[in-house]
Amino acid sequence: MKDIPQTVFVVDDDDAVRNSLRMLLKSAGVHAEASASAQEFLSTYEVSQPGCLVLDVRMPGMSGLEMQHELNLRGATIPVIFITGHGDIPMAVEAMQHGAFDFLQKPFRDQELLDRVQRALVRDAEYRARLRHTDRIRERLASLSPREREVLDLVTQGKANKMVAGDLGVSQRTVEIHRAHVMQKMEAGSLAELVRMMMAVSP
Amino acid sequence: MNADNNGGNKRVRTIIVAGQSSERTREVLRALSGFTNVIWPTSLESALAQTGSKDAGCLVIADDLREEPIDEFLQEARELQRNLPIFVITDPDDVAEAVSAMRHGATAVIEIPPSYSALCEEVSRALQ
Repeated sequence: MKDIPQTVFVVDDDDAVRNSLRMLLKSAGVHAEASASAQEFLSTYEVSQPGCLVLDVRMPGMSGLEMQHELNLRGATIPVIFITGHGDIPMAVEAMQHGAFDFLQKPFRDQELLDRVQRALVRDAEYRARLRHTDRIRERLASLSPREREVLDLVTQGKANKMVAGDLGVSQRTVEIHRAHVMQKMEAGSLAELVRMMMAVSP
Repeated sequence: MNADNNGGNKRVRTIIVAGQSSERTREVLRALSGFTNVIWPTSLESALAQTGSKDAGCLVIADDLREEPIDEFLQEARELQRNLPIFVITDPDDVAEAVSAMRHGATAVIEIPPSYSALCEEVSRALQ
């Protein structure tokens, strides 16, 4: 599957700020899209779109904090960098408690914003890579037969084939065959790798 | 202070205060000792040691620690107790520090001078 390129979404009602941020990001080689309101952004944004969001706190209509709440309800994980000219501690704390990646007060230096955007993009890419990895593991798990799944659960608990055979009431040879199938279907090179896979998808 | 003050046989949870704070902050924190233990370790190391104890209910980082490496301290405290509520008391103008504290594991940041009700509400919620 081809990766979708990352986009920095800028949401700010101030035309001058919005355009200068878009130009700044473009000059740094970052693909950026700008919206003048929370409603405009939310009407087109899909949570599967990778990137990060630079979001003004105070906007007419839906505020930045309200938009963050709406994104959380939609299950969006996009890192949000808040920008504001009138920030205070309660506002910053609320934004961070609700999962903001950062909170930046205007005026800020261009490089300051670019550094934060880069960090946010790295975090988003890492998160989505982890998500793809766990999705692949879940797909492999779904391909196991019920008996193979039982064998997998017991061997990843550290039980030897003989014990697994005793627990399941089957021969040790049968366990060995199921175990070989599990390793093949899960694409695991070792028991340690299998355990790591199970840990990655455990709640 | 006995266990009954905290609800029957429930274990008394301790508020650990790192730093000495301004007089106003100290007053508010002292008032909290009416319903739970409040301890004032003499050093950050000692505060960290107390943070790791099973009775720790929450950690309050007082406002006289601004010159200290708070972020590092916060991270260490967070590593010791992943779910421990940690409150940082700081200058009202220092939004950047508040954001940094939140990034490094603070549960909330409270402005100086902290109101008794605000701090009491946060701490009560933390100890529940």
